[in-house]
Amino acid sequence: MSDKKTIFSFSDIHVEVEGKEVVKGVSLDIKAGEIHAVMGPNGSGKSSLANALAGHPSYEITGGKAIIDGQDLLEMDATERALAGLFLAFQYPLAIPGVTVANFLRAAVKARHAGDEEALRSFRKDLKEKFKLLEVDQSFATRYVNDGFSGGEKKRLEILQMAMLDPKIGILDETDSGLDIDALKVVSKGINSVASDKNGMLLVTHYQRILDYIKPDKVHVMMNGKFVLEGGPELALELEEKGYDWLKAENQQAVEV
Amino acid sequence: MITETLTEQKVSFRPIAENEPEWLYDLRIRAWNYFQEAEMPSQVEHLWKYTKPKWFMPDGLEQKMSVLPVVSEIKDEEIAPLKPEFAAFGCNHGDRVTYTQLSDELKSSGIIFEDIQKAINNHGELVRKYLGQLIGYDFGKFEALNMALFNSGMFLYIPPDMELGKPIYMHRHPDDKYNMPRLLVIVGDNSRATIIDDYAGKSNDKPYNANSAVEIFGGQNSQIRFVSPQNLYKKSRSYVTQRARIGRHARMFSIFVSLGADVSKYNLGTILNGQGAYSQMLGILFGDDNQHFDHHTMHHHKAGESFSNIDFKVVLKDKALSAYTGLIKIDENTLNCEAFQENRNLLLNKGARAESIPELEILNDQVRCSHGATVGPIDPEMVFYLKSRGYSTDDAVRAIVTGFIEPLLKSVPDDLRQMMQNMVQFKLRNGTGE
Repeated sequence: MSDKKTIFSFSDIHVEVEGKEVVKGVSLDIKAGEIHAVMGPNGSGKSSLANALAGHPSYEITGGKAIIDGQDLLEMDATERALAGLFLAFQYPLAIPGVTVANFLRAAVKARHAGDEEALRSFRKDLKEKFKLLEVDQSFATRYVNDGFSGGEKKRLEILQMAMLDPKIGILDETDSGLDIDALKVVSKGINSVASDKNGMLLVTHYQRILDYIKPDKVHVMMNGKFVLEGGPELALELEEKGYDWLKAENQQAVEV
Repeated sequence: MITETLTEQKVSFRPIAENEPEWLYDLRIRAWNYFQEAEMPSQVEHLWKYTKPKWFMPDGLEQKMSVLPVVSEIKDEEIAPLKPEFAAFGCNHGDRVTYTQLSDELKSSGIIFEDIQKAINNHGELVRKYLGQLIGYDFGKFEALNMALFNSGMFLYIPPDMELGKPIYMHRHPDDKYNMPRLLVIVGDNSRATIIDDYAGKSNDKPYNANSAVEIFGGQNSQIRFVSPQNLYKKSRSYVTQRARIGRHARMFSIFVSLGADVSKYNLGTILNGQGAYSQMLGILFGDDNQHFDHHTMHHHKAGESFSNIDFKVVLKDKALSAYTGLIKIDENTLNCEAFQENRNLLLNKGARAESIPELEILNDQVRCSHGATVGPIDPEMVFYLKSRGYSTDDAVRAIVTGFIEPLLKSVPDDLRQMMQNMVQFKLRNGTGE
């Protein structure tokens, strides 16, 4: 494992939203083939971290470093980060009325794989394949992006996009939220099919149940803008059992000391 | 911007063309007198709240009075052959050159398609029967001016029971000399036609101030598709009044695309004059720089069981402004009408501004009616979502704008949609000509 190259890393990342610091110096290092999970209670800064890394203009990174596949992430705007291979699966995917899924994805694939004739040539075939993988109907292609989609459909479409764009790092922001068990299985299957020894995954989640289907290599527990605990997959189970309160108490104490 | 130097000029009237018939001369005199006597529209009146009437007072009226209309001088061999995709082609161009062409199979069909000045001489009684019926000399000050001085335009008469498979294409290009056009269209009972009124100007024109009047008559059971792209020179001012009146069970489908001109004021209306008449209006407006648009639409239900719908979509960037007022008017004894109106405005940046004012004058309660208006900025979250998928900011905005217009384009018939899409995309990419 240790001889694998780092595909995505960040260190001492600070994030501010409207002048308020919500992420207070977090670091991690994802090697090719690794899946990391960031867990934590609501309001701990998980989603802020995910959005900031993707370049959301409302989330300002005020300190730290981030490197994607050897490139300085923080020098890039959201578009460039996407083209460099970062993919954010949104917690609340936006509807783009009037833009069909097929046209949307064709433009995205074209941008991500610029100059790769093969990727464009096989677009239709690939799309069909991914529809199958995520068990969505072909009629998805002609529907407007997320417009009138159910919660589950939106999440499937996020993972479908990730599968089409073949990122180096997939950041999945609460992809499991709002999914029933069947949908969770399908979405997890999609994520597992994208995960390979050439990329990394960062799962941001409140609950461990998605980790029943996607095995993380490392789990980071985030609280009050910091990683307060790190460990292997067993940590997720422990959290499931004990909740976050004990950590809150412990963390509180630490602050007080 | 055109310099605002003009004050109202008192000019005595003389005939536009010496050979015009007496009835038209009388009409022009009345119109001229009306124009001279009418007050400037008050800006307190809501239709003029956003736009200064004096912007449409043309310079050099004296000179205009002396410009005689020139009935087509162009030789046949100078005219390019009619494109096969059109049933007919008409051209009103700078230097007052007007010509019209009909496809061979329509030449002896009874269709009349002529320079309006020619038609006045050749088909005087027919022109007289319709001219000014919808936009009379007393319609308003600027409409009176057009009636008094119109010096160019086209006349189209389609006899009853004719179905034209291909569109009639009119290219109207006002310029600094040639800018009081008038269009008169009559579609007979049971006839079907598609008319494209391409009102455009090249970018190397001198600034001008155009005043156009368009009257359209649809007979019983007729079906008219009237497409009006406006892509005038960006240093021009455009005043347009358009009225259509359709009969029993007639269908009118009109599309407006407003892209050009510095200042444009449009008054567009369809009168549903017969039982079961149907009117569908679609409008797309895309403004940038300092463009100023002021559009008023009207659906007037004068007969029962008639249906109207308008969907007017506005996209503005830079410091462009759009004011839209939409009137639905349903008369007292016209029962069981349905009327719908929607105006959505998308602002691409802070300096852009849109006003939307729906108006209802419904004089009976056996109607189904709805209206809606929204004005909103482009959603930065949507832009971010697209950027996170590799779209550049420009491409993201273009996709959102295209998506905003898409539902409207969907209701455009297939054969016209591509043309609309091209126009919108061209403007999105290049703006309008300087």
